[in-house]
Amino acid sequence: MELIFQNVWFVPLFPFLASILLGIGLFFFPNSIKKFRRLSSFISIMFLNIAMLLSFHFFWQQITGSPIHRYLWSWVLYKNFVLEIGYLLDPLTSIMLVLVTTVAVMVMIYSDSYMFYDEGYIKFFCYLSLFTASMLGLVLSPNLIQVYIFWELVGMCSYLLIGFWFTRPSAANACQKAFVTNRIGDFGLLLGILGFYWITGSFDFQQLSKRFFELLSYNQINLVFATLCALFLFLGPVAKSAQFPLHIWLPDAMEGPTPISALIHAATMVAAGIFLVARMFPLFQMLPFVMSIISWTGAITALLGATIALAQKDLKKGLAYSTMSQLGYMMLALGIGSYKAGLFHLITHAYSKALLFLGSGSVIHSMEPIVGYHPNKSQNMIFMGGLRQYMPITAITFLFGTLSLCGIPPFACFWSKDEILVNSWLHFPILGSIAFFTAGLTAFYMFRIYFLTFEGDFRGHFFDDVKKLSSISIWGSLEFNKEQFKLDKKSTLYPKEANNIMLFPLIILTIPTVFIGFIGILFDENKMNVDSLSYWLTLSINSFNYSNSEKFLEFLFNAIPSVSIAFFGILIAFYLYGPNFSFLKKEKKKLQLKSEIDIVLKSFSNFIYNWSYYRAYIDGFYSSFFIKGLRFLIKIVSFIDRWIIDGIINGIGIFSFFGGESLKYIEGGRISSYLFFIIFCMFLFFLYSYII
Amino acid sequence: MNHFPWLTIIVLFPISAGLVIPFLPSTGNKIIRWYTLGVCLLEFLLITYIFCYHYQFNDHLIQLKEDYNWISFINFHWRLGIDGFSIGLILLTGFITTLATLAAWPVTRNPRLFYFLMLAMYSGQIGLFASQDILLFFFMWELELLPVYLLLAMWGGKRRLYAATKFILYTAAGSLFILIGGLIMAFYNSNEFTFDFQFLINKKYPLELEIIIYLSFLIAYAVKLPIIPFHTWLPDTHGEAHYSTCMLLAGILLKMGAYGLIRINMELLPHAHSFFAPWLVIVGAIQIVYAALTSLSQRNLKRRIAYSSVSHMGFVLIGIGSITNLGLNGAILQMISHGLIGASLFFLAGISYDRTRTLVLDQMGGIGNSMPKIFTLFTSCSMASLALPGMSGFIAELMIFLGVIDNPNYSSLFKIIIIIIQGIGIILTPIYLLSMLRQMFYGYKFSNTLEPYFMDAGPREIFILICLFFPIISIGIYPNFVLSIWNSKVNFLLSNNFF
Repeated sequence: MELIFQNVWFVPLFPFLASILLGIGLFFFPNSIKKFRRLSSFISIMFLNIAMLLSFHFFWQQITGSPIHRYLWSWVLYKNFVLEIGYLLDPLTSIMLVLVTTVAVMVMIYSDSYMFYDEGYIKFFCYLSLFTASMLGLVLSPNLIQVYIFWELVGMCSYLLIGFWFTRPSAANACQKAFVTNRIGDFGLLLGILGFYWITGSFDFQQLSKRFFELLSYNQINLVFATLCALFLFLGPVAKSAQFPLHIWLPDAMEGPTPISALIHAATMVAAGIFLVARMFPLFQMLPFVMSIISWTGAITALLGATIALAQKDLKKGLAYSTMSQLGYMMLALGIGSYKAGLFHLITHAYSKALLFLGSGSVIHSMEPIVGYHPNKSQNMIFMGGLRQYMPITAITFLFGTLSLCGIPPFACFWSKDEILVNSWLHFPILGSIAFFTAGLTAFYMFRIYFLTFEGDFRGHFFDDVKKLSSISIWGSLEFNKEQFKLDKKSTLYPKEANNIMLFPLIILTIPTVFIGFIGILFDENKMNVDSLSYWLTLSINSFNYSNSEKFLEFLFNAIPSVSIAFFGILIAFYLYGPNFSFLKKEKKKLQLKSEIDIVLKSFSNFIYNWSYYRAYIDGFYSSFFIKGLRFLIKIVSFIDRWIIDGIINGIGIFSFFGGESLKYIEGGRISSYLFFIIFCMFLFFLYSYII
Repeated sequence: MNHFPWLTIIVLFPISAGLVIPFLPSTGNKIIRWYTLGVCLLEFLLITYIFCYHYQFNDHLIQLKEDYNWISFINFHWRLGIDGFSIGLILLTGFITTLATLAAWPVTRNPRLFYFLMLAMYSGQIGLFASQDILLFFFMWELELLPVYLLLAMWGGKRRLYAATKFILYTAAGSLFILIGGLIMAFYNSNEFTFDFQFLINKKYPLELEIIIYLSFLIAYAVKLPIIPFHTWLPDTHGEAHYSTCMLLAGILLKMGAYGLIRINMELLPHAHSFFAPWLVIVGAIQIVYAALTSLSQRNLKRRIAYSSVSHMGFVLIGIGSITNLGLNGAILQMISHGLIGASLFFLAGISYDRTRTLVLDQMGGIGNSMPKIFTLFTSCSMASLALPGMSGFIAELMIFLGVIDNPNYSSLFKIIIIIIQGIGIILTPIYLLSMLRQMFYGYKFSNTLEPYFMDAGPREIFILICLFFPIISIGIYPNFVLSIWNSKVNFLLSNNFF
């Protein structure tokens, strides 16, 4: 038993080995490995399965109350300075391990079919394994330096995977944007880490908060500086978890293949920020100002994401803004001190959102042959509609995910979201009202997406002419030409249900989406004990104790407003986008009726559409302010470099050149010019003496 | 003194082997290539042998000392020796020069002279790192310039004459100051003048004089390192030189300045160094951001990478200025790491130029599809250059950051400002590197290029890159191994002179 615990690092090792294996194969034998496509994906799935089984084992050990495991190896060492790497296995880690491995396995199985015709099939699995390994390394980290290391590595994997279809210019821009935005966060994170190292002399989570607590109690800390450091540190999670000022990369990251959006940009990597805040929770808790900043950031993000998601045309971008909004909820929960609710929401949301993204991938996959391969076409919800008839299983699983995300009982997100809503209301009414309002918006936009995609009539054929325009192939490969040939042959083409390999993960993911909420409640008692063991700071989580029946009733009573606002949102969505009011009919109606209210409504909807289309004007602001500012600065600096610093050097060179040249003419060695010079001088001399 | 003269052998072996090149049969350049490569490899093996069997890790004194009177009239000694600072750079020199020789495989014009110059440079660089005498140091410094000048002027790009002239004038003018400083140090307050480093360590100067000496050395190193505002020769030189020369320039030549700064300024002039250290840190921090911004505005691929080198040298400067164990260790590690990363980036730029025949970034684009291997390697090296964890750049930069924090003499505000400026460099680095990658490889346009399809990297190129990349990764994963080479020497230097 002890042996297994000493070897927790096997968990990230297996996917890492898979990625190394595939990477070496791909690099050195690119042609021969293409014959072993299925084998290579099988290897990576198998290795990840082993990691998953191991993490289940560790999770079970933690539930049954085995102690926290922590092993360290020294990595860089000097006389009085040691950088250590190792792992820390506590309840939080074990939950995250299970989460990451299960979603990753599902996504890998899904991608086997989704990416089947892609030229970069093996590369995709290689990146995916590498990402999973780094993510597992991240959640196992016992200290901040190791977190930073894996933090950057997951960022790099995200960069590579967003830019996976690198021939698309939009993907190229998106991956660069994601990396640079994340680097701004990393800048803050690094400064925060260094600052806390300066204060406490440690990188280790437990030692760090312990020493910080000691120093704080002896009043030996400059609180302003500590708060500054904590805020810098928080910048890392802000960027990674797409929180308000640095959220701009997440919607663009949808340029990556859809399985990536499900795994990295919905379930795991974006949750890394939440995870880090949770890890640093004991420390942040001692700084009330930081906590309030965290909660407000979360609330603003939740609201902003939800409002932008209201009128997105792109299926994946709508889901991306929804992810951003839900991450805001988690951050809000952590900020108001309800640690457990935030993490609970992280888990429930991860499964639900992974399900939704995989479902959307299935939709996109079936839309692509009909409307074209460009993301503007195949992900455009305007061309969808009525897909429930053609792909019922996808529709039902997608509906489950939607219901869960809206917070309808008994689906998973209900339990966690309700806790957050109640706690935020108790903490501070303004935050609570923002959270409630956002819950309504969530229900609205999620059902808008569902109705537009799966209900009503199929609209793909109304836009027939777009087909020819949009068919820009990603790879320019043969597969596409075949598809086009098919297109021309069949005049009426309808979307088809995805194959079984793609449906399997969808169905499997439905299970946690439906049931994990109960598990959270059932294990509440157990987990709480472990929690209080793991965090020597006793967290104030008394309010989550629903174990007895009176508390449960109270809980149900508390749930009424949140459920009712969700139903309200769904009703509005049904009224606007439901199957009875088909999209086109409504547009026609809108044109005909011109009453006063309608004008007001129309201007309001225009505002919402613009708000959504211009992404709340934030991207525009950044590009006009920061990017132009940077460009201007670059121009100035390069001007200085080119004309002043280099100019002086070249000027000296030219000056000495001309000096030399003129000297050359003066001392040319011609006797006649010397004689002329002498006579001329004598003449001047005589003239001078004559005048005097 | 009575052991086998290993150092003299490794210093003189390449150049004397190079002298044989004219006598080789002139049928094609195959023999010359293989001969030079063999010499380089043998030399590298010799260095490794010395490192493995004759170098003690824990000894902080000068090892394998040799002292021969050369010109007794001016007390000019052939005085060699290695310690922790130099052995790392000597190994790096051997490694990079061997690979650069292999990288220069396609050079067909006047190969005799080319390969002779490569070998002469090899000798000059190792001689510089191994010399224990200021006059010899100066001699090697100057000896090293001529091959670069000729390599640049004869095998360079379109504006090679301008670049070569600028290079030789700039660096020769700078290196004069070494001679001046050395002469002052040697003649001050002693009847019997000597240029021996070990003797000069114990010499004391009044602070004003020490500052003057320090400044005169600093000017020379500022040109070489380079320190802004003395950096403008570097982008011109790197932009025009053949990529094998660029590998040597970025990999080794820039490190000579930093080496001199540690070897002479820190070791021999500690008081002035503690006076100048904060200024070095400030200039270093400014340099990181300034060069990164300038790099962003460059349209020429090689110039962009050249400015990134300048930016990375800022970290070395900060590490040297931090006067802490961690910072100095980090600075030396950064020198080694940048030597590897810079060389591989320039090599990659060169081999992509061989294919696309353009260095202007705007004219490239979409070449990733036809050369996936170069794409992969370019991405990996850019990631290494932007200090991705797991690669050597990260650990070096982290140590320099920690070094600044560790220093007890600087005020908190100073440290905070410096660290924030350094951190801004961390944001800017990926912007210029990734936009470079985007402009080169991403997208699908094939404009202004004759061929739509390019050859991917061949086995020779991949071999070179993997050789360069392997140490980058292994230092990044387990840095202790290389850190232990100079750790005891750093401890000794700092505890002796500064604490």
